[in-house]
Amino acid sequence: MSLQEILGSKIKRRTFLKIAGATGALAMVSAGCGQKRAEEEPPPAPQYSLEEGTWLPTGCEGCTSWCAKEVLVKDGRAVKIRPNALSKVHGDSGCPREHLGLQQVYDPDRIKVPMKRTNPKKGRYEDPGFVPISWDEAMGIFADKLIELQKNAEPHKFMVMRGRYTQNNQVLYDRFPKIMGSPNNISHSSICAEAEKFGPYYTEGYWNYRDYDLDNTKMVVLWGVDPISSNRQVSYYLKAWGDLLERAYVVTIDPRLSASASKSHAWLPVKPGEDGALALAMAHVILTEGLWSREFAGDFKDGKNRFVAGKTVKEEDFEETYTFGLVKWWNLEVKDRTPQWAAEKTGISAEKIINVAKRLGELGTHAIVWQGGGPNMQVRGGYSSMAIQALNGLVGSVDNVGGSIRGASVPSGNVPAPDDFMNELAKDGVRKQKIDQRGYKEFPALNAGRSGGGVVTNRVADAILAEDPYDIKVAFGYWNNFNFSCPEASRWDEAMAKIPFFVHAVTHASEMSIFADIVLPSTHHMFEQWGYMSQKGNTYTHAWLNQPVIDPVWDCKDPETEMVWLLAQKLAERGFTNLKDFCDAVKDPESGASAANEKEFALFCTKVRTRPMWDPAEYKAGDKFSGWEDFKTKGVWNSGEYPFKKLWGNFGTATKQFEFYSETLKNALTAHAEKHKTTVDDILATCKYQARGEKAFIPHYEEPYIWGNESEYPLVMVDHKSRFNREGRSANAPWYYDLKDADPGDEKWDDVARINPRDAALLGVRNGDRIRLVSPVGSLVCTAKLWEGTPPGTVGKTFGQGHWAYGRVAAKDFKKREARGGNNNDVLPADYERLSGSTAFYAVTRVRVEKA
Amino acid sequence: MPNYAMVIDLHRCTGCGACVIGCKIENNTPEGIFWAHFVHETVGHFPDVRYTYVPTLCNHCVNAPCVEVCPVNPKAMYKADNGLTLHSTERCIGCRLCEKACPYGVISYNEEEPHRFWRDDTALISGGTATPKEVAERVGGTVLPYYNRDREATYKGIRPKNVVEKCTMCDHRIARGVDTYCNTVCPSKARFFGDLDDSDSEVSKLLRSHSSFRLKEETGTEPRVYYIRKYNPS
Repeated sequence: MSLQEILGSKIKRRTFLKIAGATGALAMVSAGCGQKRAEEEPPPAPQYSLEEGTWLPTGCEGCTSWCAKEVLVKDGRAVKIRPNALSKVHGDSGCPREHLGLQQVYDPDRIKVPMKRTNPKKGRYEDPGFVPISWDEAMGIFADKLIELQKNAEPHKFMVMRGRYTQNNQVLYDRFPKIMGSPNNISHSSICAEAEKFGPYYTEGYWNYRDYDLDNTKMVVLWGVDPISSNRQVSYYLKAWGDLLERAYVVTIDPRLSASASKSHAWLPVKPGEDGALALAMAHVILTEGLWSREFAGDFKDGKNRFVAGKTVKEEDFEETYTFGLVKWWNLEVKDRTPQWAAEKTGISAEKIINVAKRLGELGTHAIVWQGGGPNMQVRGGYSSMAIQALNGLVGSVDNVGGSIRGASVPSGNVPAPDDFMNELAKDGVRKQKIDQRGYKEFPALNAGRSGGGVVTNRVADAILAEDPYDIKVAFGYWNNFNFSCPEASRWDEAMAKIPFFVHAVTHASEMSIFADIVLPSTHHMFEQWGYMSQKGNTYTHAWLNQPVIDPVWDCKDPETEMVWLLAQKLAERGFTNLKDFCDAVKDPESGASAANEKEFALFCTKVRTRPMWDPAEYKAGDKFSGWEDFKTKGVWNSGEYPFKKLWGNFGTATKQFEFYSETLKNALTAHAEKHKTTVDDILATCKYQARGEKAFIPHYEEPYIWGNESEYPLVMVDHKSRFNREGRSANAPWYYDLKDADPGDEKWDDVARINPRDAALLGVRNGDRIRLVSPVGSLVCTAKLWEGTPPGTVGKTFGQGHWAYGRVAAKDFKKREARGGNNNDVLPADYERLSGSTAFYAVTRVRVEKA
Repeated sequence: MPNYAMVIDLHRCTGCGACVIGCKIENNTPEGIFWAHFVHETVGHFPDVRYTYVPTLCNHCVNAPCVEVCPVNPKAMYKADNGLTLHSTERCIGCRLCEKACPYGVISYNEEEPHRFWRDDTALISGGTATPKEVAERVGGTVLPYYNRDREATYKGIRPKNVVEKCTMCDHRIARGVDTYCNTVCPSKARFFGDLDDSDSEVSKLLRSHSSFRLKEETGTEPRVYYIRKYNPS
């Protein structure tokens, strides 16, 4: 039933809006609620109780909001989920995704027991012939393979891959590979958002996501981010949004009508890849109109604004306070980036650009420019990330009340360092080049200023296939599914088929598991295991415990600690005792004992890691607890209040200032170029950037780099996340599909590509047609949806469906490997924002539409 | 007796769907059946286009067409003293007249044994993965592994085949002084339940301070679900 139908034929839309905007008189008449009703005795409450059982604290990693939760447990069964209201980040506000956890933990397609492969041939359409085995046998086989690497003196040919994790991952992800002698701990981070951190780092020295002071802001510019739907602190934003809209002017810049765009005062549908142009033009307006923050960025010595379009300014005429290189940036770039110039690039009129920029400048220090991955996880997105973050610098809202701020550090302990448990082979092994080619000339991956400092996750498939830097013989992956979640996913099918021995620790038999030799059933992080996680939001940082609130439904174990302990025993039986020695060195902070079994090991690791939060003797900051039991019962630690402006003059950059001309980036790029005995210009060219010379060190305009020519592939693919994704792990939950149309433009129990009706008419595509999206690297089949929220020239599609494994709901036919819907990663090319190592998901390819 | 109503603040609503999933958990509703739901609409042409979302549920109408047409005596679909429109699974004969009479499409009929998904007893990987039935039995659920027993207090925990079912405004919860579950789980704090005859109730206050509208007012059903403010701020 449509909204029009349900609202009634007589109430047309305009009437509906008029009624909704009318005065209260109408309601009072119809509701008859003006009188205080006579006092009566309330009827006696019926004799039954509700929500019997116990609410037990834990937390949710269904997205990167990482919220503290409580689970209602009755007779060992999880029945309901709610937010842990003790969190100062989200308080008593939850989200729709938390509830999907119930259909995850009780998913019938979870793996019950360890399994081994009986068909040695590996491929998408090969039946692995999985048969159940014991934990003992599984860990014995795994240990044999690792011992073999030791014997052959090639321990570096072992690789650990991580998807989602808890902060207990220090054991599995760091200590374990090091003790085994491998440099290869490969995280998913660069398919998550590394490019989003690039701008903040090379302007203000912060390689991280930002927090925002919504309570005190007057304007929010959401840039390629959808906070009431996905990404960080969704629960808090869901609660805060209504009040925010009353207090602040909210603008969404996004090449699709997102959930947040529909709840914003204005939507600027920027052309894909032109975010940098828009940001630079906004900077141009702020400077020419004289609206920058004098307090933060300084002023002309005589107070007269000399920022005039097209005209250079003498550096000595301007005195900066907490910034560096403003005039250089103006002269090199911003002076020419007029709103008229940007209008042609972005599709946003000069008038709108000027209006938004002026408003931003006028509201100044209480304005937030908030970027997600959209404008920067593009092949040439690194400098857009800088340009957008630079706007916060211009208006002085960085680290300021009502502005773009940071999180607090979480007091954490460490398990013993690996060094004492590493043999000579291991010490040599960990010094080898990592498998992901980070630091290669074409992959600077300048995490926190270091060449090769960050991961290049999606490159691993190519590296394995090319055996460059070497071949991988044994691999362990947990909570990851790169064969689904990485662009050009089919390369991972080839790569994983090539690895001789692969162990996958997961809750579900996923696309990646189909290539496994051993599949290990993992606990569900929210219900069945120990761990802890931290996150920021609402100007606070919290840290909460994952707790085993129910017994594992099946014979599942926690990969991060329990599996390591079990493996250590098997390795020791075979004469390699180093990992067991390490495990034994992890002592319970209370009793001093070593773990007698894997469950104790998980608990002790958690207590060690969180000790500075719960042990009064080690107290550092934030909430205080009387001890472990107190912390365990409350389940969440909160930081103290945010100290505004403490970073001013002490940013983590080379100059300590907020850099519009990034000496920090200059150092990093120069060091990378010197490492490869070449020039910065050559590095930029190698990394597909157009800029040469000084522009390499400032936020500047780059033309979008989009695969496929316009004549053959007329539409730009706009990929984005579903509000029900739980990071791609909820695709087997029936509720996911029952609610799918709560993603604006999507349909229940279907996977649609959204096309503007004008384009559809030109293409001869009708609503509901089965279509194939074809890009230069692949294709997917889905359903056409004609939707006005999709700008002409683009096709919008939610990521999340298209599984050919993962379960009976996620896959249309699990046994035949038939997908339900289409995986966006089948059309996205494996390309990168190379300076950060980030995978490019946005403005990265064009597609054409064919009838399927 | 109280005169119960719900007020939904569309300005605060974020269209997230938590109320819909929460309702499914509280009331053990089968796939495809929604007591709490939503309608959405995209109007205009790019770039002047709006997406609007309106949460829906049984309107517990004062003049409830579903009650009027119920042919059973005493009626299976009936008005309770507190203004709620309630349903008796025992008395229901499955004629579906109420479903047809409802102008809002919020009454659902169980054409088959509910929760076919969870009654299935096949495994994807023999010996390696479970079956739906096996999970529910192993953890002690009733058909559903996450089955909510609270629902049994005033209605069948899972309604049988060949009867209708609908929102009861969580009558089992409000009788104990606890808010409806759709309201409880609403992260945006956009939903309010209370007594219209109590001028101090939140719903009365909201209806005094805001203009409101109800769905299909022209049908004369006098819904007890009111909407205030607008979903789109622009």
